[in-house]
Amino acid sequence: MEVLNATVDSIDEKYFIKIKVEGGDIIIPLSDDNANEVKSAFNKLIVRIRTGEFTIKLEKVGEDLFSMVANEYLAQLNREIHEVRSQMKEYGLVKS
Amino acid sequence: MKIDIHTHTKRCKSGDAYTREISPEAFCETILSTEVKVIAITNHNVFDLAQFETIQSRIGRDAQVWPGVELDVYDDVAKGHLLVITSPTLAAKFSVAVDGLTKGSTPDSFKVRIPDVLATFDAMEPLYVAHYKQKRPSLSDDLLSVLEAGAKNKWCVLKEVSNAISAGIHISHGRSSIYGSDVHDWAKYAEGAHELPDLRLPIDSFEHFCLLLKKDPTAINTVLDRKTSEDLALVPFNDGKTLTIKAFNDINVIFGPKGTGKSCILRAIAKHYSKNGIDATVFESASDRIDDIFDVKGKDLSINLNPLGINYCTDEIQSLRDAGEVDVTSISKFTAYFAAANTNRNAKKILLKEIDIQEEGDAKREFLEYNEAASTTEEFLDFVKLDPSVKKELAVDELKDLNRILSVLLERLNGKEWTGFAGWKEVALLNSAIKSFRKEVERKTGSPAKPTTTGFRDYAMNRIEIAVNASKIIKSANTKIPYQEENVGDLGSGKGQLKFVTEFIFQNGNVTDGGMLSLTSVKKTAQKKFINCIREVLAHVFVDDLFQHISELNGIEDVEAIKTAHELLLFKRYFTLDGMPYSPSSGESSMVMLQKELGTDKDVYILDEPERSLGNEYINDVIVPLIKERARSGKRVFISTHDANIAVRTLPYCSIYRCHGPTGYGTFIGNPFTNNLVNIGKADDLLDWKAISMRTLEGGKEAFGERGKIYGSA
Repeated sequence: MEVLNATVDSIDEKYFIKIKVEGGDIIIPLSDDNANEVKSAFNKLIVRIRTGEFTIKLEKVGEDLFSMVANEYLAQLNREIHEVRSQMKEYGLVKS
Repeated sequence: MKIDIHTHTKRCKSGDAYTREISPEAFCETILSTEVKVIAITNHNVFDLAQFETIQSRIGRDAQVWPGVELDVYDDVAKGHLLVITSPTLAAKFSVAVDGLTKGSTPDSFKVRIPDVLATFDAMEPLYVAHYKQKRPSLSDDLLSVLEAGAKNKWCVLKEVSNAISAGIHISHGRSSIYGSDVHDWAKYAEGAHELPDLRLPIDSFEHFCLLLKKDPTAINTVLDRKTSEDLALVPFNDGKTLTIKAFNDINVIFGPKGTGKSCILRAIAKHYSKNGIDATVFESASDRIDDIFDVKGKDLSINLNPLGINYCTDEIQSLRDAGEVDVTSISKFTAYFAAANTNRNAKKILLKEIDIQEEGDAKREFLEYNEAASTTEEFLDFVKLDPSVKKELAVDELKDLNRILSVLLERLNGKEWTGFAGWKEVALLNSAIKSFRKEVERKTGSPAKPTTTGFRDYAMNRIEIAVNASKIIKSANTKIPYQEENVGDLGSGKGQLKFVTEFIFQNGNVTDGGMLSLTSVKKTAQKKFINCIREVLAHVFVDDLFQHISELNGIEDVEAIKTAHELLLFKRYFTLDGMPYSPSSGESSMVMLQKELGTDKDVYILDEPERSLGNEYINDVIVPLIKERARSGKRVFISTHDANIAVRTLPYCSIYRCHGPTGYGTFIGNPFTNNLVNIGKADDLLDWKAISMRTLEGGKEAFGERGKIYGSA
């Protein structure tokens, strides 16, 4: 299964998860509660799921709050990505 | 029922072809392969009783075989051929008579004078059929006069002509005529048998036939009474008087000059049957209404999509219209959980809340997979155990083996099914416990619990469902529906079959044909906007602005009326000839509508002047055979007509003649068999059916002149 690397980055004290995907990174904000940005990231993940199964791995897990949040968030997200991929396969929505 | 009064089974004269000879077996086989039910054997100057009896016993009740002979007759100036046919009950006597008459001669040398013929056969009351005019060698008028003068039964002297047209012409001139096959080659008999005369009234015997020739009223009425009939008491006119007619399950014709109330009688007949729950309407030719009759505008048009395997998408359309965005889990819930220092000692002891939630999907799918396999296997096992065909095809051991293997398989699948179920419910229970514990700890301690989901699964599943629904609607809209084509009728004169095409097509966003109409009340613009919006929804299903397109969908005017894929249907209906759109002329419209009416299966057909706008050739070649065919099926056919082709050539069981004279309107009822029309108000007031028909009907003389396929002169 393909592994997509992710990092916890910050710009101007705003933290986010950056998932490295071919064709453009997917950004999930950590320090802002911006549902629309999260949804936008989710849409890109769905599109990516159609092309093949993958898991997201946090490259470096620190002891700071946002690293812990990101680690837990991605663990749950990976589990749900697997489930969504299975459903999409059932409906014939995956490309491979 | 066809009749052939002139056949040969033996090569008697030296000029007879070998192909005239036929064995009794082949004779019976040939006759029974045709519709000929009455046949006379008339060899040249010979009657072979042994052969006749063999044929008669072999053919049994399947056909009537009459004994006969074809004699060479002469006087001082002329000679000709005369058939003498008698009752089969007198075959032996007839044989002795023929033998006595021809004794000392050969078939080639034998010849006899008319007085001797009469002296030999007339006591047997035979049927005399003389070769006449074009039927050579024909009897001269003088010879015929002698025969007619001497014969006891004058009505039993018929003239044999060469074909149906000649027979009709002679009949119209008052000469009783008939024609037979005079078979020369038995190998070709069956293919030409359809041209032999038809007996409109069924006959039981030779004697019966002679009585019908005599126009014996009792004999005719006995035959008519055998036909199913009923008395209709009608009140067709404003005077309130009841008109009772005897209607046959056959052809009943009403004729007479214009304005004598024929249509009123038809309407009264229709009313009578309708009142008794029988579908009966008066068919009137109305060529200008062909589009309405065929419902070209599709007022009553509908289509069931289920048999075509097309999904109506009722749920899918509703689901799409109701679709809304699913929220995701706020990130702050995660940060709040990790930021909070949970100091509650008891809470820390509850480790269950720290376990990660597990996805149930895989476990559930595994269970469902085995569940379905187990159910199907069980059903199949039951089928194998009970189906008689399986038992017939398999030996006992094979059946036992099959049952054993299927039972083993079922046991294993059941085992896996229960394991799967347990696994699925284990995950579900664990997840439920984790969520409950987290919630309770959060409630008791005030510290935030770890979220159980990012919200991605539900968010994605919502969009997947939208994608699936939109895809199904588009799949339905992209389905091609085959053209529906029905034969409307033959346009005659070799022009071909007029067909009526119904074309259904879904508005899939690309249909621009202005001739296509919406099948429902939904406007074409709304249909097009709707399907285009669905396409946009599908294209943006995993894009941020998806719900803008769903809002646009819900904003379409009249969108509420589109509840199923059926409301996206367009249609077009038109006539075609040779596959090309065609507008039938008014005459052609009349033709096909009448064919449509007669082609519809009904018990009662009521036709008001069906000949209107139609040519004689068409009436004769297409309509008359159709009417006769309906009558043969025991249907009741009532026809008001001015056309002799219909009134004469169909030989109606009942003819109603309406007229108007100095004393007012009159109604006469009769038939062509008695040749009488009787005034219903005055039994002794009789009219001649043939004379009235010839005088009243358009083309009357021609109809009689060209009529064939009838015995005797009507």
